[in-house]
Amino acid sequence: MTSYQSILDWINYPDPMINPYYPFGDIYNLPYDICYKLWEIIGGTIAWLINLIFPGNSVSTWLVCDMTTNFFALILFMVVIFLVVFVGVLISLWEERKVLGRAMDRRGTMIGMMGFLQCVADGFKTFMKDNIQTKKGDNMTYIWTVSLIIGTSMLIACMIPLSDRWFVVNYDTGLLIIMALYALAPFFILVSGWSQNNKYSLIGGIRAAEMMVAYEVPMLIIIATASLLAGSFNIGDIVQAQYDTMPYIIPMCIGFVTFFLCATAEAERSPFDLAEAESELVEGWQTEYAGMKWGLIMLADYMRGYVSCAMITILFLGGWDLPFIGDLNNVMPEIVFLLKTWFVFFLMIMLRCAVGRVRTDTILNLGWKVFMPLSIVNLMIVLILKVGGIF
Amino acid sequence: MTMDYLDKYRDGRHKSWKDLWIMKPIVVVTKVFNKTVVHRPVTVLYPYESLWEPDNYRGRPALDFNKCIGCGMCVRMCPCTAIILVDCPDDEGNNVERPQVNMGRCAFCGYCAEYCPEDAMTVTPIVELAEYTRSDLIYGPRRLAYDHTTEGMKVKLEETLISDYKAGNGEKRYLHSKIDRPELESSKCISCKKCFKVCPAKAIVMTEHGKNAKGRPILWPEINNETCVSCNNCVDACPKQALHMKEVL
Repeated sequence: MTSYQSILDWINYPDPMINPYYPFGDIYNLPYDICYKLWEIIGGTIAWLINLIFPGNSVSTWLVCDMTTNFFALILFMVVIFLVVFVGVLISLWEERKVLGRAMDRRGTMIGMMGFLQCVADGFKTFMKDNIQTKKGDNMTYIWTVSLIIGTSMLIACMIPLSDRWFVVNYDTGLLIIMALYALAPFFILVSGWSQNNKYSLIGGIRAAEMMVAYEVPMLIIIATASLLAGSFNIGDIVQAQYDTMPYIIPMCIGFVTFFLCATAEAERSPFDLAEAESELVEGWQTEYAGMKWGLIMLADYMRGYVSCAMITILFLGGWDLPFIGDLNNVMPEIVFLLKTWFVFFLMIMLRCAVGRVRTDTILNLGWKVFMPLSIVNLMIVLILKVGGIF
Repeated sequence: MTMDYLDKYRDGRHKSWKDLWIMKPIVVVTKVFNKTVVHRPVTVLYPYESLWEPDNYRGRPALDFNKCIGCGMCVRMCPCTAIILVDCPDDEGNNVERPQVNMGRCAFCGYCAEYCPEDAMTVTPIVELAEYTRSDLIYGPRRLAYDHTTEGMKVKLEETLISDYKAGNGEKRYLHSKIDRPELESSKCISCKKCFKVCPAKAIVMTEHGKNAKGRPILWPEINNETCVSCNNCVDACPKQALHMKEVL
C-alpha cells in the first residue's frame, strides 16, 4: 500500500483511458476527461481529509479507486453535458430575442449582460407562478406527456455531439436514433392536447399531427440522402466525410433549403408553429399548462430548435470542422460547432421575422407538392454524383 | 406540364409567381436588421433616457402663484372639472383664491393654460405623476409651481372667428378678451355694485349717471377694455342679467 503524506498524493490526474472501466471504448472523450479530473480533485480532497482524521482507513482509498472515480465521473459527466447544452440553448434564446428586436427596429431585452439575464428572470418568474390544473382533464396523460416531451427534447439535445471528442454515445446509427426520438414529440403533443379537455389544445394537437404528416417524409429522405453521400449513419463519419470532400451544402443545395424548412417545422418554430399558434389558438396545446411546466415546455421548444440547427450544421455545413485550416480544427471544434449552430438559428429567426404563419392546408401542400419533389430531385442529383464517382 | 403542376399548387390567392417567392420579405427584414445593428433602434431606454419634448408639450399644468389673479377662467374652461378655486394665503398673508388641480381627473388638454389671461397657468413637460393614493394627486396652488417655465410653455389661445373670416379678415385672436367682452344693458342695472366686487382685474369702475327718484345715485359699471380679461365673473354675479358677453367686432 502506498503511503499518503500530502494532498498531492491523493490527486494525481491519471489518464482516464487507462482506467479499465472507461466507458467510451478506445475513443477519447473530453467532457469525461474533465469530469474525471474534477472528481480527482473533489474525491481526493475528501479522501485526504478523512485520512487526516482516520489514518489508513479504507473509505479514503475507496473514494479514489478506479471504479468509484469512474462512477462519480459519469455523474459529473451528465451534469456537464447538460449544462453545456442548457447554456447553449439559453444563448440561442437570447439571440432570438435580440435579433428579433433589432429586425423589428427595437432593442430586445435589456436586463443585465446585454439582455442575457432575462432568461434567468423568466425562469424565476415561471417558478413563482401558480401551478394551475384543469379538474376535468385526464391528469395522468396531462402530466406524463409533458414530461415525455421535455424529456425527449433534452435527451436528443444532449445526444448531439459537439465534436468528435465531445459526445455521449458514438453509435453507428446515431443520426437515426436522434431523428427517431425527435419525431416522437408530435404524438405526445396530440395526446396532451386531447387530455386537456380544451378546444384550443385539441386543435393544436391535431394540427401537430397533421403537420408531422407533411414534413417528416421529405426530411427523412434528405437525411437518407446525406448519409448515402457519406456512406454512414454515424455523425462523426458524416462530418469527417464532409471534411474530406466538401460541405454537403454544395452538392445538396436544394436539399439544404428543403431540410432547413423541414427542420424549422420539426422544431415547431414560426412560420410553422401551427400547434401553438398564439394568435389563433390561445397557446395551442400549451394552453392549460401553467407555471414551471409551461416554462419547461418553452425550454424544450428551444432545445428542439437547437437540435434542428445542430442537425443542419452536421448534415450540410461540415459540423465542427472548418475547411482549409488543417490541424487547427483540433483546437476548439466545440466552439466552432456551436457558432455554426447559432448562425443557422439566426437564419431561422430571420425566416420567423419575414414570413407569416402558414395555413394548415398550405403546410400539407408544401410538404407533399413542393418539399417531397424537391427532396427526390436532391436524391437524384446525389445519385448521379455518387454513381459518377465524384464522391 | 411543369407549369400546369405549379398552377395546381397555386391556390388562387397568388396571382403572380413572385408572390410565392419568400425571399422578398427576408430581404426587407435583413435590411432593417443591418440598419438597426449599425445604427440605434428607434426606441429609447425610457427610464434612463427620454425623447426630446417640445416646449408646448401638454404635460401637467403649472401655476405662477403671484401672476395669477384668481379669475377662475381655468375652472370655467376645464372640460373634466379637474380644477377648483381654493382659498389660500398669498405672500403677504391676504386671503386669495387660487386654482387647485386634481391630476387624477386632468386630461392634459392644456385649456387652462390656453385661456389663462395672465399666462400664470402654463403647461410643463412633466408627465411622471404616479402617486400611492388618489388624494396625493391633488395639486394645491403652491404645489403647482414650476421653476423652469419658458416662453413656449405659455401656450396661447389662437382662434379665428367665423364672422371675421366671412368679413375677409382671417387674423387670429390671441386673447379671450379680444373675442368676447361683457356689455351692459343699462336699463336692467340696479346699481348693486356686485360686478365691481367680483372683478378680479379691477377693470370695473362704478360711474354716476344722475340720480333716481329717491335721490340715490344711479351707478353703472364702466368696463375698462384694457384691463378686462373677459372672465365672465361679473356676468355670473349680476342678479338682473344686465351684463352679457358680446363678441368683439
